[in-house]
Amino acid sequence: MRLTKSAVRIGAVIRKEMRELWRRPGALLSLALGPLVVMALFGIGFTGQRGPVDLIVVIPKDLELPRDAAMYQKVAGESAAHVVAVTDDANDARARLSRGEIRMILLAPADLRERIERGEQAQLIAETNELDPIQQGINAVVAETLTREVNAEIIKTAAQQGLARLASSGASPPPVAPDVVARPLRPVVRNNATADPTLLTFFTPAVLALVLQHLGITLTALSMVRERVTGAMDIFRVAPINAVELLVGKYVAYGILGLGIAFALVLGTTNGLHLPFRGSVAAYAVAVILLTFASLGLGLLISLVSDSERQAVQLSMLVLLASMFFSGFVLPVREFREPVRALAYALPVTYGIEIFQQEMLRGHLRETWMQGALAAIAATLFFLSTLRLRVVMRG
Amino acid sequence: MPENDIADYPVVLDGVTRHFGKVVAASDVSFAVGEGTILGLIGPSGSGKTTIIRMLTGTLRPTAGQLTVLGEDPRHFRGATRERIGYVPQHFALYHDLTAYENVSFVAALFGMFWRRRRRRVREVLELLELWDAKGRLAGQLSGGMQRRLVLATALVHEPDVMFIDEPTAGVDPILRAKIWEALRALRDAGRTLLVTTQYVDEAEHCDAVALLSHGKLLALDRPDDLRRAVYGGEIVEVRTARSVDEKVIQGIEGVATVRRRGPRTLLVVVKDAGEATPRIVDALTRDGTSAISIDPYVPSFEEVFQAVVERDDASREAA
Repeated sequence: MRLTKSAVRIGAVIRKEMRELWRRPGALLSLALGPLVVMALFGIGFTGQRGPVDLIVVIPKDLELPRDAAMYQKVAGESAAHVVAVTDDANDARARLSRGEIRMILLAPADLRERIERGEQAQLIAETNELDPIQQGINAVVAETLTREVNAEIIKTAAQQGLARLASSGASPPPVAPDVVARPLRPVVRNNATADPTLLTFFTPAVLALVLQHLGITLTALSMVRERVTGAMDIFRVAPINAVELLVGKYVAYGILGLGIAFALVLGTTNGLHLPFRGSVAAYAVAVILLTFASLGLGLLISLVSDSERQAVQLSMLVLLASMFFSGFVLPVREFREPVRALAYALPVTYGIEIFQQEMLRGHLRETWMQGALAAIAATLFFLSTLRLRVVMRG
Repeated sequence: MPENDIADYPVVLDGVTRHFGKVVAASDVSFAVGEGTILGLIGPSGSGKTTIIRMLTGTLRPTAGQLTVLGEDPRHFRGATRERIGYVPQHFALYHDLTAYENVSFVAALFGMFWRRRRRRVREVLELLELWDAKGRLAGQLSGGMQRRLVLATALVHEPDVMFIDEPTAGVDPILRAKIWEALRALRDAGRTLLVTTQYVDEAEHCDAVALLSHGKLLALDRPDDLRRAVYGGEIVEVRTARSVDEKVIQGIEGVATVRRRGPRTLLVVVKDAGEATPRIVDALTRDGTSAISIDPYVPSFEEVFQAVVERDDASREAA
């Protein structure tokens, strides 16, 4: 009898929540379609291409180096850099750098030959004017690549000259091409992952995880605050419903909705964006359920510690912001220092992103402990929400 | 505090005090509510009515004192006891996006009512409170009066034995107020025990007993008529004379307690027994060379009673 009455109460909360959601079709539509539109725009609009670095090569007047821009372009390659000009006017090049017309100047040292002949290294100076740390990193890589290529060209030229001297002296030259002397190794990169890593395929599962967490938090963050603000909590305090029954009712109602939206999002991404899905549907579904329930728990906890709807919204946005920075969505979790990394692993979405990406793109989850960790977070949040709700219901 | 079989009273407070920091919301309040009666907790806003209701429903812990509802400490109600309690909060606490029917059905289910009984009872209470025709309308679209009745319906649906009703008539027009009190009296007649708070002092008339509260203190507790008598020290008659007379003319008469001027030729006279005092008053006026145009029983409004009680309390505090 007691259990049956408990089921009646839980059923009442589920129906109430579902009806309230159903009666707000605008909110429901934006919740369901909003993430799809965001993901579609992301898929269509984001190229991930920054383009080659525009640069000017500055060679002092007296230096005996080629001044043909096409030659330097060939050395640099087409994708990494675009050699805008070769000049001897360093001031003009710096002015153009300052105006933002180019991103880099490569300054050849005036004493290049003398230093090499003395057995010293000469400096090829790369000047930039960059605020974006990522672009500055790219600039540094381009500068290093160019320096390596110039070095290789110098060695190749020397090798050609040496072989020519040998030939002119009547000796038989070794069967080694100058290019092999300059670049004995050529890299060949093979990716054994089952999916070719493109930005779209890599980021879409991450967006999906982030959207699911945000949905779960948004759906529930205001839920309990609203019950308190409207006075409905007073009814719960007097009625024979307990904290667990109330929470289970809300979890189930919002869980059904969250899972429905997750299902639609996965269908949308695999069919609409042609995202590969190589893993197990069952394992993926478990991950979706765990992420959804952990997110609902986080939202409910926010709802229970907030004094007002405004505070609940602020805390939800704070979690979203933290998720953007720390979850591995943009920056890899391993690049954070230890205490901050712990914060990253306290967020459900950190596991969601990793599991979704691996299940969808790799076909299996390497770090199987992540499912367990996500389940532990979901259970902990449910436990904390229950404790907090008990205190709130006691008044 | 009634002495006999106090444990049988559905609602008992004994020396209950509640502080909010330095503010005393309830101070040493003691009373008991008998079965099948309406007790009106009456007092201005901030007098401690809602605090007492919240302590009785178990949502607020008293700082001191004991209280029981249906024989249990409200902080530790068993589930079965909760099912016997109805509560109407001061503000509309239902769901605007649910229909009137769904709101009542939801609360019925919270109290563990199964579908068949729930369906029957929802219809009964909606019909009782004349809301059946509005059953399909969203609660948020109902008028203020209908919303108040809807909240009352949710408190009635599970047929509670004891009901705590906080300001059921606040902001409600006089016609609806009368209807609400009619419904409350019908519940009382059906054997329910009701504790109703109101800031409308004149609504004391509808109660079987009234507890007057001010600044968290219980100033008076009695049946409405007995309270009038107790406050004024007897019956009151209104004496209208042909010409203006000095109060002293009547003041000294045997059986007259106090005389107060109400108008140039109208006096309010508190007497021990109106039947005995009236001929003496007529004689005294005749001796003074005037005559009484009329001597009628005067029933003071409860606002006057409340004012008198507060003044008496203020005076006793000043004296202390």
